[in-house]
Amino acid sequence: MSETITGDSPMQAVLQVFPGAQRALFRKYHIGGCSSCGFQPEETLAGVCERNGDLPVAGVLEQIRQSHEEDARILIEPSDLAKRRDNGADVRVVDIRSREEFEAVHIDGSQLLTQDLMQEILGSWDNDQLFVIVDHQGNKSLDAAAYYLGHGMPNVHALRGGIDAWSLEVDSAVRRYTLN
Amino acid sequence: MNDELQKKVAEAIRDPKNVGEMADADSVGTVGNSECGEMLRLWVKYREQDGEKVIDKASFQSFGCETAIAVASLATELIQGKTAAEAMEMKPEELSGELGPLPPMKIHCAELVQGALRDALSPESQALSQAESPAKPDGLAPTLRDSLNEGQAKSGSINIQFLDE
Repeated sequence: MSETITGDSPMQAVLQVFPGAQRALFRKYHIGGCSSCGFQPEETLAGVCERNGDLPVAGVLEQIRQSHEEDARILIEPSDLAKRRDNGADVRVVDIRSREEFEAVHIDGSQLLTQDLMQEILGSWDNDQLFVIVDHQGNKSLDAAAYYLGHGMPNVHALRGGIDAWSLEVDSAVRRYTLN
Repeated sequence: MNDELQKKVAEAIRDPKNVGEMADADSVGTVGNSECGEMLRLWVKYREQDGEKVIDKASFQSFGCETAIAVASLATELIQGKTAAEAMEMKPEELSGELGPLPPMKIHCAELVQGALRDALSPESQALSQAESPAKPDGLAPTLRDSLNEGQAKSGSINIQFLDE
């Protein structure tokens, strides 16, 4: 499906095919961060490129594709995480959900992210520490992992599908839930 | 961004120097465009050398793009051993050091670092209160860090419904 994205594609289609496109655009070109550097869903990729210093469409598209692949590398499968833990790997699990959700269900041994832990990770964890970010359904963990990657921690991963996938694929004792 | 610059930024990002809050800093400077989700905070520690106060070390935290992190990493190395006055005179293109000239759309990254540096080195910043919470960015628009904070922000306002009930 990615082959269908061209310079003439509206940004909403670009984001549909490459969910991490906005993250990639902001990271490399400072596009899409806020209202003043954002884009309209109907605006074409070529249009966005043109009004941002006439960026080469092919280069931007390639950057988006590469970032998409990079996102895939950041993800870790629930079964892979379970296997590493079972094998005694030094892998820490950081849960970025709310305290209520964490107290309701969490992965054994995981830590709830607080401001203190956020600073501890950046300030005193080994930069090479292997750790996995967990959210509810995998929507936010990639952003969170990218944040730590940008701070020089290369071994951070995002749990694909979040704790919901963990429940479905690894440990059914972790109850599934929705938020109202 | 040309390939060469992209490569240098990638190298700097792989192993950024002087990242993180400095607990015993003498001063701290913050600059940011919260509208765009960019913010950079820089800590400075001085030492005496030949009767002069020079920068012993500096560290930073950035909530901006990769180039800002790369420039801040280089700049915190470059200013070591300089007096505050000397460091404040450094232009954005000097702070970006070995990254070389930045393209127009990335110059603001070096200016961001220059702003944080000037803020940290200004006399008003030198009476740093250790009680301050310098690592907490206020009022950021949606950023990667917001994804980290979202869970904490939601606390107290959610209702959990188990699917097996």
